[in-house]
Amino acid sequence: MQRRKTLEDRCLDSFIMVVLVLIVFMTLYPFYYILVITFNSGTDTTLGGMYLWPRDFTFGNYIYFLKDPKWLSALGMSLLRTVVGTSLGVLFTAMVAYGLARRDLLFRKSYFFIIVFAMNFSGGLIAYYVVLKSLGLINTFGVYVIPGMLNLFFLLIAISFFNDIPEELGESARMDGASELRIFARIILPVSMPLVATMSLFMGSGHWNAWLDSAYFVQNEGLRTLTYRMMQVINQSMIPTGDAASAAMSRSKVTPFSIQATAMVVSIVPILGVYPFLQKHFVSGMMLGSVKG
Amino acid sequence: MLKQLHKQFPFHVFVWLGILFLLIFSYIPMFGIIIAFKNYKISTGIEGIFTSSWAGLTHFKALIDDYNFPNLVRNTLILSILKVVFSYPVPILFAIILSEVKNVAFKRFVQTVSYLPHFISWVVVTGIAYAFFSTGYGIFNELLLSLGILKEPVDVLTDPDSFYGLAVASAIWKEAGWWTIIFLAALAGIDPSLYEAAEMDGAGRIKRILYITLPELKSASIVVLILSVGSMLGGGLVGSNFEQSMLLGNSLNSEKSQIIQTYAFNIGLAQGRFSFAAAIDLMQSVISLFLIYTSNAIAKRVSGTGLF
Repeated sequence: MQRRKTLEDRCLDSFIMVVLVLIVFMTLYPFYYILVITFNSGTDTTLGGMYLWPRDFTFGNYIYFLKDPKWLSALGMSLLRTVVGTSLGVLFTAMVAYGLARRDLLFRKSYFFIIVFAMNFSGGLIAYYVVLKSLGLINTFGVYVIPGMLNLFFLLIAISFFNDIPEELGESARMDGASELRIFARIILPVSMPLVATMSLFMGSGHWNAWLDSAYFVQNEGLRTLTYRMMQVINQSMIPTGDAASAAMSRSKVTPFSIQATAMVVSIVPILGVYPFLQKHFVSGMMLGSVKG
Repeated sequence: MLKQLHKQFPFHVFVWLGILFLLIFSYIPMFGIIIAFKNYKISTGIEGIFTSSWAGLTHFKALIDDYNFPNLVRNTLILSILKVVFSYPVPILFAIILSEVKNVAFKRFVQTVSYLPHFISWVVVTGIAYAFFSTGYGIFNELLLSLGILKEPVDVLTDPDSFYGLAVASAIWKEAGWWTIIFLAALAGIDPSLYEAAEMDGAGRIKRILYITLPELKSASIVVLILSVGSMLGGGLVGSNFEQSMLLGNSLNSEKSQIIQTYAFNIGLAQGRFSFAAAIDLMQSVISLFLIYTSNAIAKRVSGTGLF
């Protein structure tokens, strides 16, 4: 039964349409604007007045970006920490969860208490830094990947996932004398691919976007990540760049800002690439998180 | 029991590894907060937490006497309150508006777009803000100047008076779409027969929103409100007080952008005054704990719903 639209309906529908189109525009336009900047020559962009389309079209920004060893090494470091950090995080979190998922585990309650307590209280950044420093992690690649190895939020999700796997699955292998680690790696993980995918996507985007550790826990230039380099440009945007650097830049008609925009696009593209996959999983993850509170 | 333990041994090893990890990265820092009452030096490492001499409340006194202190407290509180007030209603309104869209494909498209910024790094969001608000070539000033709304360019990025607005608006831009998911899920659980009955009784759509949709969102709204008030000092729902203060803050707007957390961090790491910085951290944690328990207690009394 289709009811005729009343005046109220039509007003409301138009209002909603306008609001939503505005929201979509306000969300997408900034990304588009950055993309336009990267295809416009940097020196031309500084003149302003460009909104919709590159005025002085060029690939110069991308070429400069790909030729600059600093940006390239930062990109490589971001990729490396994302791959290593995510693999370590997913495997370690899943392994601990597998142990905790056994229902008749002795001291299970106490173990859970230790975990939930750690979820709710923290010693703050300073005490955390003291521990990192004492462990010798400061200024090493380890500081990127080790402290994030156990993700408590995903630990709880993984436990409830493993709880739904029938126990008989590992039983025959156990009879044949396979070790628990082997059962976990060869039987449990392969049947838990939806879980592994969700964890990888979320932990991966976390690693890819992280900036604090590279900015404050690392001084070694070779360890700097893409997010750090972008942050550096932001911090320096009020200070004129050195002569040598600016001379090289003006020769290729790029500016720190246009290179920055290029780096931003480079940093957004992988996220857009995994976004459809992320989306498939994150609603359920979000709901689990909200129920936990 | 010993036999059972023996049988389960590999499982316990897995768990112990996890607990060892928590011991190092969560529990030692939690205990390490006592350096706020000590004269700790970073060169003494973890043992130093135990062996360094007691300082009593010296660092807390120093903090209160610090000339930055009133500014820090003011910025932290104002920023946190503004974020809760302005960011809290946005996902609720957005969810209601979305739920009124009948075209499923369009609805999904809008939703997909709206939570995209959640997955983008704060560094990139700050970069976008620079592109938009820069006085040289940013769209913001150009547009407002050409429309005659502004007489002269406003440097949003360095003007201290713009900082709160910039921080709140960019946080909402980044996170509001993400939090809408929770409210949409709550809306999906509403029994459609409620709407049908209301329609039979001649209630128009606005009436149905007011008398069915809004009340049905109550418990989700309360849970989210408690969460956001409890985590207020970190920025509430939209979080990121620390990130924003670090990234959008600069030497020119520091009078409004420096907050308790960033001050602790900078003082601790840049000047090596770890005990002093830990005192700031501890003060912040105590206030946060107080906030979450109070908001929960108030919510329980008012509505009967609470988190714990």
